[in-house]
Amino acid sequence: MSTRWYPIYQKGSPQLRVFLPNFWMKLVRPTHKIPSNVVQFACSMEMTKFDVKNYMEKIYNVKCVDVRTRIHMPKTRREVTAGYVIKDDDVKYAYVIMPKGVEFKFPDLFEESKEKEDEDHEKALKQAKEGFDQFLSKNKDRENMPGWFTV
Amino acid sequence: MDSLFKVGKLMSLFNNLRLNTSPNIFKYSQFNRQFSVTTANNDLMEFFDVKKNWGVEEIRSGRSWRKDDLRLKSNTDLHKLWYVLLKERNMLLTMEQECKDQARLFPSPERLDKVEDSMENLECVVRERNVAYHKLETGETGERPGKMETSAFGLKYYYKMCEYPIPKFMNKKWTEKYKFFKYDKDVEAFLLKYREKIYIERRRKRARDFNHVIGLMNRFPNMDMDALQQQYPDVDIKKAKNSRKYGGHFAPK
Repeated sequence: MSTRWYPIYQKGSPQLRVFLPNFWMKLVRPTHKIPSNVVQFACSMEMTKFDVKNYMEKIYNVKCVDVRTRIHMPKTRREVTAGYVIKDDDVKYAYVIMPKGVEFKFPDLFEESKEKEDEDHEKALKQAKEGFDQFLSKNKDRENMPGWFTV
Repeated sequence: MDSLFKVGKLMSLFNNLRLNTSPNIFKYSQFNRQFSVTTANNDLMEFFDVKKNWGVEEIRSGRSWRKDDLRLKSNTDLHKLWYVLLKERNMLLTMEQECKDQARLFPSPERLDKVEDSMENLECVVRERNVAYHKLETGETGERPGKMETSAFGLKYYYKMCEYPIPKFMNKKWTEKYKFFKYDKDVEAFLLKYREKIYIERRRKRARDFNHVIGLMNRFPNMDMDALQQQYPDVDIKKAKNSRKYGGHFAPK
């Protein structure tokens, strides 16, 4: 049988094994406040709690005490011009509970780039101010003169 | 004697060659070879990119795995590569989601496509091997069996077969779900109209193409007729040239 096609399980037959799992999981920022040893994942809709547990333990070598899942239905909204109702795809969230003492904090990926952006912004602002001051000082003798008027 | 001398000369040439080339070969092919090894830290941080790629505008990456590359690999190698790709995809999905949540641009989104392409190719290669093995051992492909079936509305489709724990006549759920074609007056009437619709559509297309070709020939008189015929194989160009629409409006001299 091909990779994605498994024979039906009957009592006594060998255990079904997945050789090339195509489940995906993504670590997401927790939607609610959760304990530090709990991690929230979004995962494939087909995954069960056992799948999540095996996935974490076998592929990522992360021990988990318990797994809880829920299916989140996103809020419906209306299309702005046509007015029909839009509903995004459902998401399955898995909460992986790690043993006591193991901690995970979602890292801030944009901390450094944020600082750099702030610096750039300040620089640009300073430059603009300087430019304006220059303009004022250049034109201080030409009071009440239209901007387009030059000699 | 002469030939011996020649052989000797040749040998010396080879020796020289070897002497000259061997340091280079070692230098470029064996010792200076660049290869990267991913550190298997087996951690939750594997869901995130390496720290130097955080908040970067562009991340450069190589090409995806092609089928020809993968065909050279052993089964165990493919199995390992699958998990590498799986982890990479998870990482990219995580980063993409985080970028979306923080209202930032996800750098180099083509990486995701590359990984998915590689995974598809890998699965295809595994499938090829599987089919070859099954054909050798059993004479069948080992693929999911299926056949062309006619649906309740008389339309043909590919029915993928499935294994069931109970026989067909006992399987009430299956009989409720899968209804195949059985003669019915209304279905016949539907099919008649359905086919008529297809027929009209086809006829309209034929006429449209015919007129379009005439229009093209009028606008571009020095056009390559073979290329035109290739693009519109259903149009009879000779017939189109005989049409009264061909040639434009002008008074004969």
